This record gives sequence, C-alpha cells and structure tokens, in this order.
Amino acid sequence: MSDIAFRDVTRVFQRDGTDFLTLDHISFDVRDREFVALVGPSGCGKTTCLRMAAGLEFPTSGTVSVGGKPVERPGPDRAVVFQQFALFPWKNVYENIDFGLRSKGMPEAARRERIARQVELMGLQGYESAYPHQLSGGMQQRVAIARSYVLDPDVLLMDEPFGALDAQTRVVMQEELIKLSRVNPRTVLFITHAVDEAVFLADRVAVMTRRPGRIREIVDVAKVREAEHWDRYERTEEVMDQESFVHLRTRIWRMLREQQPQEAALET
Amino acid sequence: MNPKGRPEGESAAKRAARRIVKLSRPSTWAGVATFVVLFAAWYVLTTLTQTIGSGRFPSPGETWEAFEQIALTGYADARLVAHVLHSVKLVLLGFAAATLVGVPLGLAMGASRSVEAFVNPAFLLIRPIPPLAWIPLAIVWLGLGDAAKVLIIWFAAFVPAVINSYSGVRTIEPYLIEAARMLGVPRRLFVREVLIPGALPMIFTGLRLSLQACWTTLVAGELIGAIAGLGHVLYQASLDIFPAMIVVGMAAVAITAAVMTIALGVVERRAMPWRSTR
Ligand SMILES: Nc1ncnc2c1ncn2[C@@H]1O[C@H](COP(=O)(O)OP(=O)(O)OP(=O)(O)O)[C@@H](O)[C@H]1O
Ligand SMILES: [Mg+2]
Repeated sequence: MSDIAFRDVTRVFQRDGTDFLTLDHISFDVRDREFVALVGPSGCGKTTCLRMAAGLEFPTSGTVSVGGKPVERPGPDRAVVFQQFALFPWKNVYENIDFGLRSKGMPEAARRERIARQVELMGLQGYESAYPHQLSGGMQQRVAIARSYVLDPDVLLMDEPFGALDAQTRVVMQEELIKLSRVNPRTVLFITHAVDEAVFLADRVAVMTRRPGRIREIVDVAKVREAEHWDRYERTEEVMDQESFVHLRTRIWRMLREQQPQEAALET
Repeated sequence: MNPKGRPEGESAAKRAARRIVKLSRPSTWAGVATFVVLFAAWYVLTTLTQTIGSGRFPSPGETWEAFEQIALTGYADARLVAHVLHSVKLVLLGFAAATLVGVPLGLAMGASRSVEAFVNPAFLLIRPIPPLAWIPLAIVWLGLGDAAKVLIIWFAAFVPAVINSYSGVRTIEPYLIEAARMLGVPRRLFVREVLIPGALPMIFTGLRLSLQACWTTLVAGELIGAIAGLGHVLYQASLDIFPAMIVVGMAAVAITAAVMTIALGVVERRAMPWRSTR
C-alpha cells in the first residue's frame, strides 16, 4: 500500500518577520494506485503540498503520510519530477537517468537495459551524451521524467511535468502516461495548470482555492470516465470532444475562475 | 555512441578547438596591435628620441643584452632557466599544498554546518592577515631557506582556495541537492558527483586567485632573502642598479605566471567538459 494522506495540513511561511498562511487545513487522499491531479491558482500552495509528500517540506500542523507512515525524509520510493527539472548540469542525459539506479546499487547490465527503454519511450535516442544545457526545455523535461520513471517508484510526484512541452509532445506524453498507468498503475500526485490535462489523466481532480490554499472540491473523474467509456477512444482529442469531458472541464474551470476575479484579467 | 553515452572525445575536442580559434581571432589581432604600439613607443622613447634615459628604463637593445647575459652566462649565481625552475618549484609546492588542504576544507565547511561552526571563526580571524605579514614568523620558524617561502606561498593560496570552495558548495542550486536526496544518492556518491562538480566552477575561480597570490608572495619572499629564483634576480638587479635586468626579471615573472595560468585553464576545461561545450 502506498497511499498519500493529507490530514488537516496547515503550513505557515515566515517572510520579513510576518506569518503567511499558505495551506489552511488541507485534507485529502491519493489512494493506492490512484491518479490525483491538483489544480489551483498560481501560488495557492500546490508545490508545497507535493514537497510535503516528498519529505522536502513539513507541515506546521497536521500530518502527511505515505503508506500509513508520516513522511519524515525524502527517499527513492517516491520519485519527484520537479517544476524546474533539476537535472544535473554536469551529467549527460544517460548519466542523469542513471543516477538513481546507481544509487540503488543496481548492476550495470540491468541499468543499461532500463535506461534504453526510457530513452526510447521519451524519444531521446541519439541524445544520450548531450548535456542538459544542449537540450531544449521540452527535452530537458523529458529527461527529468525519464529519470523518475526509470526508478519504477511506488509513488510519483509530478510538478507540472508537461509544462514546458509543445502541444504535440504534450499529448504524446499524456497518452504515454495513461498507457503506463494502465499497465503498471501507481500512486500519482500530479500538479497542472491545464484543466484539460487534469481531466484527461486523473481519477480525481482536487481543486484548490487561492491563498490561503484550501481544498475546494474533489471531482471524481473516474466515475464519469467509466460511465461514458472514454477508454474506447484511442486519441486524446476524441476524448476531449465528448460532452461529458467538456462538461467536467467547464465545471472545474468555473471553480477556478471564481477563485481569481482579479487575477483573471492580469494573467491572460 | 558508447554505452556510457560520453561524447566521442576527438571530434568534440576538435570542434571546441576550432570554435576557440574562431572566437578569439578578432581579439587576438587587437592584442597584437596593442603590443606593436607599446613596443614602438618603447623603442622611440628610449632609443630614437632618448626622452627616457637608460638609468631609469632600459632600451629594447639593453634589455636584449641583459636577457642574453642571464640566459647564457647567468646572473645572480645562476642562469635564467635555473631561476625560473627554482621559482616554479616553490610556487607549485605551495600551490599544491594549499589546494590539497584548502579545497577539501572549504568543501567540508560548505557541506557541514558543524564544520563551518568550528572552523569559520578561526578562519575569519586569520583571513584578513596579509600573507606577507607571515614572513617574519616563517623566517623565525624555518629560517631563510625555501621551506619558509613555501609556507608563505601556501598561506597566500590557502585563503582563496578555502573561501571559493566553500561558497562553491553554497551556490549549488538547492533543488539539485533535493533531487539527489529524492534519488536516494548515498553520501559518498553525493560528495563525488553532486557536491564537487557543483562547486567546481567556484573552486577553479579560487585556484586562479590562489595562483596569482602564489606569484605575488613568491617574489616578495625571494626579495627578502634567497639564493636563487626570479625574486632574487630582481633583488640583485636593484642592488646593482641594473634596470635592464630588472625588466628581464619582471618579464620572466609575467611570462612564467601566464604560462601556469594558461595550464590551469586547460585543466579547468578538461575537468568541466559540460561547460566547454557551451
Ligand atoms: N520556502 C518558502 N518561504 C516562504 N514562502 C514560501 C516558501 N515556499 C513557498 N512559499 C510561498 O507559499 C505560497 C505557495 O507556493 P507554491 O510554490 O506551493 O505555489 P504553487 O501553487 O505551486 O504555485 P505555482 O502554480 O505558481 O507553481 C507562495 O505564496 C510562496 O510565496
Ligand atoms: Mg508550483
């Protein structure tokens, strides 16, 4: 079992001597092998939630537990795809993907095979020896994703992992992620700004309010997906054309719009 | 492509070399032009118009004669090669010792709060003391020989080596350290493959400053008492009121130090292949 449980999580940050309430009594679960997307206005505390599940950040009060145990430190049972990629500039693509496996002490032959599979999956063939700065933003992001997938972790924590990709690559990556999670379902907490993406990928979408971040509503997408048999469609755009899909998307959009009457004008 | 995915050395190196030559071409010519102008001015002022008397600054001809003298027959008890080698030996000894002690100490201070807490106060106290102020103590401890000079050079190079290695660790992006923690990278691997490469650009900045400090201190040390070395040549030439030999000595210091700096640059590029492909 590797579920993620947020229980009454509050986080206060200090800045210039004043307290900022960032997360206000957040409670939600990502069940074992469930895919939950977290959406919400910029700065509402999505990354902070994810970092707590990773063990890189801790609640001011409340608990975050993974697999029933409170998270105390980072570890390779939970892989993170960081918003800033966090590739090691001095390691080439192959070495970046390899680093976690080497840390586990996996034998060289097994590593090579698994890396080759990821490289192919992410369309990085021929770039194994390139350094991160020689790659486009989208390619760097794919390396970062490959570095997490290759570890085959119980829990995947992804912070806007497709944010830097162009529309086409993004769709390919989304379809890959769906395929992967059908073959080998894992517990995924996935942050995104794209409501489409959230509805397309997630079993449930947790919608957050603007600062201080609270969970406004949790939308059960899986229920609709099964009722409407979205999985009979091969392609993303076919699913996105479904009335049920559009309906869910619009509902979530409304919730987000209500959150940010001032920001809507600024951010478009 | 080899399985490790490393770039095939030769072609990559060749490409880089071609680019360096290409990039530096206009600036190379600019540099040459400056030299030509300076040399012409030197020749005109000292030889043609004799505005500057040879008691103050030698002409090119006198300088060449002084060079021939020290290179072929010797001056201040040895030939130029021997003086240069002597100075280089002291610099390398002091520099190597400072690097071997200073860089690990700086890295440890950057990586560990407790090492920082123990070492930093003492370091802050010692740091503002100019290296040359250690000369009297070094002479009392070790006499006028080479050991005292190596000690002073070591000290001069030690401070920048420590400070820059230390801040090199501190400038590593925090998210890289977090990424390593998430990947479960064990301590030794972390030091070798995250901490050191992450700090390397700053470490080399420190080493370049160290090397400069080494030469400054060496010449100062040899001015005070030495039996050989470029500082000794300068000292002897000033006693003999021999401006041409002083200029030769200064030029020798400049060229030797420049060669060592260039060599350090080559090591730097080799050590950080991910930067030279930029
Ligand atoms: N270490 C910190 N110190 C102080 N304030 C912080 C810290 N980390 C986050 N914050 C604040 O907490 C709030 C939430 O940040 P967070 O990064 O979680 O937002 P987010 O929802 O991921 O935003 P975005 O969608 O723009 O990535 C922000 O206002 C931010 O300024
Ligand atoms: Mg964020």
